Amino acid sequence: MTFLKLVVRNLLRHKVRTLLTVASVLVGIFLMVLLRSLDSSLVAGAAAAESDRLIVQSAVSLYVDLPLSYQAKIASLPQVESTCKWQWFGAYYQNERNQFGQFAVDPEALFDIYPEVEIVDGSKEGFLGNRRGCVVGEQLITRFDWKVGDTIPLIGSLFPHPDGPDVAWEFQIEAVYRPTTTNFDRQTLFFHWDYFEKTLDPRGTTPPGMGTLVLQVAEGVEPTEVMAAVDAMFENGPQRVQTTPEDEFQAQFISMFGNVPLFLASIGGAVLVAILLASVNTMLMAAREQTYDIGVMKALGFSDGRMFTLLAAQSMVLALAGGGLGIAAAVVTQPGLADLIAPYLPTQYVVGTGTLVLAAGIAVALGLGAGAVPALRAGRLRCVEALGSTE
Amino acid sequence: MIRVQNVTKTYRRGAETLRVLDDLSLEMERGRFFALMGPSGSGKTTLLNLIGGLDDPDSGSVVVDGVDLGSLSGAELSAWRAQSVGFVFQGFNLIPVLTALENVELPLTLAPLSRKERREHAEYALELVGLKDWARHRPKQLSGGQEQRVAIARAVATDPKLILADEPTGDLDRDSAEQVLELLGRLNRELGKTVLMVTHDPHAAEHARSIVHLDKGKLGTVGETPIPESTGA
Repeated sequence: MTFLKLVVRNLLRHKVRTLLTVASVLVGIFLMVLLRSLDSSLVAGAAAAESDRLIVQSAVSLYVDLPLSYQAKIASLPQVESTCKWQWFGAYYQNERNQFGQFAVDPEALFDIYPEVEIVDGSKEGFLGNRRGCVVGEQLITRFDWKVGDTIPLIGSLFPHPDGPDVAWEFQIEAVYRPTTTNFDRQTLFFHWDYFEKTLDPRGTTPPGMGTLVLQVAEGVEPTEVMAAVDAMFENGPQRVQTTPEDEFQAQFISMFGNVPLFLASIGGAVLVAILLASVNTMLMAAREQTYDIGVMKALGFSDGRMFTLLAAQSMVLALAGGGLGIAAAVVTQPGLADLIAPYLPTQYVVGTGTLVLAAGIAVALGLGAGAVPALRAGRLRCVEALGSTE
Repeated sequence: MIRVQNVTKTYRRGAETLRVLDDLSLEMERGRFFALMGPSGSGKTTLLNLIGGLDDPDSGSVVVDGVDLGSLSGAELSAWRAQSVGFVFQGFNLIPVLTALENVELPLTLAPLSRKERREHAEYALELVGLKDWARHRPKQLSGGQEQRVAIARAVATDPKLILADEPTGDLDRDSAEQVLELLGRLNRELGKTVLMVTHDPHAAEHARSIVHLDKGKLGTVGETPIPESTGA
């Protein structure tokens, strides 16, 4: 017979209620970790972005393409080391549920500007030498069970194949990449701009525009100077541009969905308040049921402090059990969720240690918060009142 | 020796103030079996609670074996109860989530004993009340009489000098009541415990050596019963 045994036995008086409370804490802590990780991943992605990489886009909207001619003009600036066109391709693989990022790019410039893109299978040379070649993120390889050498048919939604909307664009996997930083997506397919352009417009009469132009600032040059120079270059048209550092661009991209951090924090906060109320309710019911036992134990010589501890410990065990399971669930599901969310996130979903520590702290706070009132009442309860004996 | 001096206790019920004990003074000799009788509302349970340190008098003092309970802090009073008093309640008051053995072991967790020693003491106490074979049973698996015997085992597990029993046979049938009364008598006779038992039942009171009557919060008569007294300390 130990104190902990008494705590556990009291919790098991109503197994279903205890189980439901633990489950509610589990779900709450899991959601909190999930939402916080999403937020952190987005913020971390923007923070990890390079400040000497600039993104040029239409000043009107990201959905308005820039004329191809802009690339040569921008590249001619002495402060610019290299440039790379990006065009969102918007196709799907086999069925419309299989969405992921595909971009037509300048293949050589891609590797020059993004040294964090590391080839882990196949070869960069193979990709550069094959006009239909593509380089894909390692998570796509896992997700679709692809391998180097496979031909990947993609049905274009934004850019249907000129031979018909049901005709697939075909790409050959020449290389697999793994980014060395978290800000670069692991589920993207990059292919040759030439293949994209020549397939769409074999005669070169109406070439497609580029969604964005990424440029690498020359060493020693202040990025703000280049931003001002590029924006000034097209101030009078034909289309004005907006040049932003990569981190700001990513932050703007995220803000297109609204104030994501506030949104996530609001949901997370509401969830935590809900489980706190549920836990307080459980503990109040438990304390009420144990009133008589508390009176008996005080009569046997258990002090007010021990009675406080008994109730507080029950609350803490509930919160820690639920919190621990919630944290475990968040850790275990992290790889699967990362794959699931990847198509919708510009960065990688990561459950950080800081988030787990915060979740553990919240579980402890929840235990203290839910147990405080019942424990104080148990501590202050007078023996004769608890036993109801006031003859 | 239990010495109650000029004790007054009142309770408020709404706007009404009830004087449950009215300037009561009483002395009870150590090692005897006392029955505390009186009509409902006469202050029997209140007096028992005051002697057990469960409640405070409005005025006056309660001294048990030289310890003035009014001079103890809350924590000291808890420690004193753990060492010096065993309670037996009318409703048995066993902890429902614990087995009979664990219930008996419960007050022993406050004593400086190893887990093995606690277990041995609890088993001995259960054996004393004839329920060793029921050690693993939960209270709801026991009869009323068995529950009360477990409660008595719990009361004596820490070897207190004083046993306070509040209507211990009130919820029991005649045979079970007789067993419980016999057990309390044995604790007094064979182990020298001072037993103070509140009861309405004149037959139960006959098991005591002395009978104290209370009436409207005041001391009535104090009498001796023909029960032979033995080795009280």
